[in-house]
Amino acid sequence: MKLAFWKSALGSPAGRALLALLLVIMAGAIFNADGAFFKIGTHRDTLRQTSVYGILACGMTLVIISGGIDLAVGSVLALAAVCASKMAIHWNWPAWEVVPGCLAVGTACGALSGIVTAGLRVQPFIATLSMMVFARGIAKYASGGMKVSTVVQNADGSYRNVEVPPLFRAIDHSIFHGNVSVVTVIFLVCVAIAWVALSKHRWGRYLYAIGGNEEAARLSGVPVVGAKICAYVASGIFAAVAGICQAAQEQQGDPEAGVGYELLAIAMVVIGGTSLMGGRGGIGLTLIGVLTIGYLDKILSINAVPEAGRLVLTGIIIVAAVLTQRRGRT
Amino acid sequence: MGLSNDSSPLVRLIGITKRFGQVAVLQDVNFEGLPGELHVLAGENGAGKSTLIKILAGIHTDFQGRIEIDGREARPRSPLEAAALGIAVIHQELSLIGPMSVADNIFLGRTPARAGFVRHAEQNDSALHWVRQLGLEIDVRQPVEKFPVATRQLIEIAKALSQNARVIVMDEPTSALNAPEVNTLFGLIESLKSRGCCVIYITHKMEEIGRIADRITVLRDGQCVGVAPAAELPPAKLIQWMVGRDLGEQFPRHTPRSGAELLRLENFSVFPSGLSSRAAVDTVSLSVRAGEVLGIGGLQGSGASELFLGLFGAYGALTQGRMFLSNTQRRFASPRQAIAAGVALLTNDRKATGLVLSMSVCANATLAGLPALSPGGWRRPSREWAAAKAMTAPMRLPDSTLEMEAGALSGGSQQKVALAKCLQCRPKLLMLDEPTRGIDVGAKREIYQLVEQWTAEGIAILLITSEMPELLTLSDRIAVLHRGRVTAEFPQGRATPEAILAAAMGQSIAE
Amino acid sequence: MRKQIVSALLAAISVFVLGGFGLESAAGRDYVIGMSQCNLGEPWRVQMNHDIKEAAAKHPELKVVFKDAQNDTLRQRSAVEEFINSKVDLLIISPKEAQPLTEPVARAMDAGIPVIVLDRAVLGDKFTCFIGADNVKIGKAAGQWIARKLGGKGKVVELEGLMTSIPGQDRHNGFREGIAGSSIEVIFQADMKWLEPDSRKEMESALSRFDRIDLVYAHNDPGAHGAYLAAKAAGRDNIIFVGVDALPQEGVAYVQQGILDATFRYPTGGAEAIDTALKILKGETVPKKIVLGTRLFDKNNVATGGEPLP
Repeated sequence: MKLAFWKSALGSPAGRALLALLLVIMAGAIFNADGAFFKIGTHRDTLRQTSVYGILACGMTLVIISGGIDLAVGSVLALAAVCASKMAIHWNWPAWEVVPGCLAVGTACGALSGIVTAGLRVQPFIATLSMMVFARGIAKYASGGMKVSTVVQNADGSYRNVEVPPLFRAIDHSIFHGNVSVVTVIFLVCVAIAWVALSKHRWGRYLYAIGGNEEAARLSGVPVVGAKICAYVASGIFAAVAGICQAAQEQQGDPEAGVGYELLAIAMVVIGGTSLMGGRGGIGLTLIGVLTIGYLDKILSINAVPEAGRLVLTGIIIVAAVLTQRRGRT
Repeated sequence: MGLSNDSSPLVRLIGITKRFGQVAVLQDVNFEGLPGELHVLAGENGAGKSTLIKILAGIHTDFQGRIEIDGREARPRSPLEAAALGIAVIHQELSLIGPMSVADNIFLGRTPARAGFVRHAEQNDSALHWVRQLGLEIDVRQPVEKFPVATRQLIEIAKALSQNARVIVMDEPTSALNAPEVNTLFGLIESLKSRGCCVIYITHKMEEIGRIADRITVLRDGQCVGVAPAAELPPAKLIQWMVGRDLGEQFPRHTPRSGAELLRLENFSVFPSGLSSRAAVDTVSLSVRAGEVLGIGGLQGSGASELFLGLFGAYGALTQGRMFLSNTQRRFASPRQAIAAGVALLTNDRKATGLVLSMSVCANATLAGLPALSPGGWRRPSREWAAAKAMTAPMRLPDSTLEMEAGALSGGSQQKVALAKCLQCRPKLLMLDEPTRGIDVGAKREIYQLVEQWTAEGIAILLITSEMPELLTLSDRIAVLHRGRVTAEFPQGRATPEAILAAAMGQSIAE
Repeated sequence: MRKQIVSALLAAISVFVLGGFGLESAAGRDYVIGMSQCNLGEPWRVQMNHDIKEAAAKHPELKVVFKDAQNDTLRQRSAVEEFINSKVDLLIISPKEAQPLTEPVARAMDAGIPVIVLDRAVLGDKFTCFIGADNVKIGKAAGQWIARKLGGKGKVVELEGLMTSIPGQDRHNGFREGIAGSSIEVIFQADMKWLEPDSRKEMESALSRFDRIDLVYAHNDPGAHGAYLAAKAAGRDNIIFVGVDALPQEGVAYVQQGILDATFRYPTGGAEAIDTALKILKGETVPKKIVLGTRLFDKNNVATGGEPLP
């Protein structure tokens, strides 16, 4: 009876994803770098460092389930980081103006991606690739090519220092006796919101249907174009949230931030078990994927594994994790 | 249609048992195919026919029992090995690769090549030879996806023939063919028989069984009920073997009813490829009343399916002419609008356009009616479950299937789920496109009873079906389309198969 | 059809936008200098262009035209060819790579245009003057400062820039030279690829592993800043932070704010390029190679503009 339970548990995508995570954590326990792996600070840091990617992965999950892909999230993150810094540091806006302002930027980018993909029927890869380049360009233009930091240039060319805005200080901060960082909480809130949307709202059901069989969904009355646009808008909003967190943690808005983040977000979604073809998967799986890659990265870091070794190991483990995901489906 | 003299079997399956997990899909099944015969494998949906064929074809390699070809034991471990043993299978779910050319598809796995370079000329000539045998004149260099389903089915058959197989399995080969194409196929089967091949034929069509079967093996619930010469198995007895109970009359008589006019089309045209291109439906005018069944007859390319899709708003603004629902002029820009107005469509390809196979049965059944089941956008799973159950229970789908993935169900069950989805929104007009394609007799009868019930509830039904008896029995009136135009209309009782076929082939009959 | 019109419009707009930036009309000036920059993605290069512009502004007879190759070698070759064709009086180039840009530079010389090569070299010697800094020297200066500061012994974390790049290797090797002979122990080193978030992550690992860290040497200021934030979040206040680059609004400001204890300027050479250009245009001879020195910025001298080091 027990064997049957384990067999069915391993047969489910969540079971296999958890197995991968478990193996990574066991590896950490073995290669624990003089006990560093067991300190609570290490776990707090792992979650902190992976939260920004995790927030991107939430939006990416929604888009991938609907059968699309969003390559622009790294660039939108940078654009939002630049905007957040400009608004909070240079223009001195209060938090309740900065956050909606940045979310509006993310919404606009997502809406543009969505309209080009779903409305003009351009392939998502191409449409979001263009947005990736476009948003990066806007970020560089808005920031003048330099990081938007607390060092502000005066009219005469000299520089003065400005206070780090309270919004940034509030985000780059640890709570619960310093054991949980605020960005981790923000990440978990994003996970919860995405989970609710996907499993409790009919829009989530629509995304699964569109990703599973777009034509059948359309002929069943699903508003395909509108639902897809909303998925890209959601991805843009999550990217903006990630951008605000990134800016807070660097205390500046870097137009070069987020390069390559979209690929890592996609890897996290895929390792969790969501299918790139669309129609299958979920946020819970993505959360497991985020933790798996986050812990893997941390274990390599505390053991000071040289860069080349890290790249090779990470590549192998990603492929291995995806292969174990496949075995379940006949 | 005679039996061959050579009585030693060409293919034997002995004691075949196959399990999927705990469930035994086949139990100790025996089958024998003689050279030069057409042997029908009959059984309801889920009886195990497809599984048996997949074992023979080398797709399922994990089973108990023996296979013998020509008296020698054989155990194909892959479709290529099965082909090498002389077994060719034409599946119901076509296995052609859309973007590849016809010739490439036919010779897939056996591509004629010299040092790795494909010999296209030789391949194309061979391919052309084989498709011509089936009466097709097509450009074999074109990708397969450019051709309609019926042609693709013939290409699939050509592929099997080109393998010079001696055991040829055909699973519902005529489901997308018209009458002349079926005749060509049967002629081909005759020539195969005379060459000593054994043709294993799976079909649900009684008239085909009666026409071409030499012997019939019947499976029921994974077990072999028996094998007999066709002469000894008239339809009633055959059905009894298949179902295990006497179903009485095979096609129940349809009670005609009609109420107020529900749908009226005036000069309705549909241009699927754009307003400046050819009209698939050309100035069609017809009307249907509540509680009435209007059957649409026609062969491949008649435009019947396009008529439904155009009505349904699937082509958006690419329609012309006027449509009246309950005397109000409407035009639907999207299926969403049509569903909201009380129109439902059952498509003719449940896997491609009817269901989302990766979602559960419950999710599929409630997909079209989700706005009503989720006020404010928030889903109520218990309401969805109840609504799905309310639709599927009358169709004899057990509750345990509600949580299963739609892709895991048999064809007949999938069709029922698709129907449940249509009925979810309480339609006033129901359009059924080939509702009983690929469905066993028992399920067919259930659907006929449902049609009965729906008309009693006042739903107007438009029906497309390529099975003549079904068309004649279910319809109150019949309109026949040929190349997008109505060529004949028959009130109940006045239609004959010959007249319908003639009209479908273009001979307009004034009525 | 609609899709095609929209894409054509988008393409036209992007050509406009990309081409429009940086177009200046050259009329009524005495000398035109072409400046080919390999990319403006790095703030340091933005600073280089800025330094050139500022230095040139002091000499109204100079007009500088900037072209950005967006880190594309072929685009940079085209930029040089365009400058040759428009017959600029002098060319300043900071090449992406040595090999592919050597020949275009040679052709400019053949066409009578003097060439100043900035920061990254080309092959051979067919150019007028090379101006650049020496990362090995800078690393060594940093190492020596660190050795003095720690009194010859201590536990140091080295956060490296991209170790497949020459600057990263040079700043690493120079540093090791600088601390050679002392009892300084590098307890943790990691490649943070010049990026602040990565540096913060590696620093967190170091902090969780080692209870005592005396000093952090990062190959650039953003890396040092990220490490500083990690230490602050962990409540470890007694660590010394040293960076490199010393951009005025970044590294120097960090020293002023007390975030970094020291940073070493990696000079852009922009001002020197203009000075040398003027000399060349007036017909004076200039040295073939000008190696720029570095400046140390620490608490003591940051208010007065740092201290030059040999």
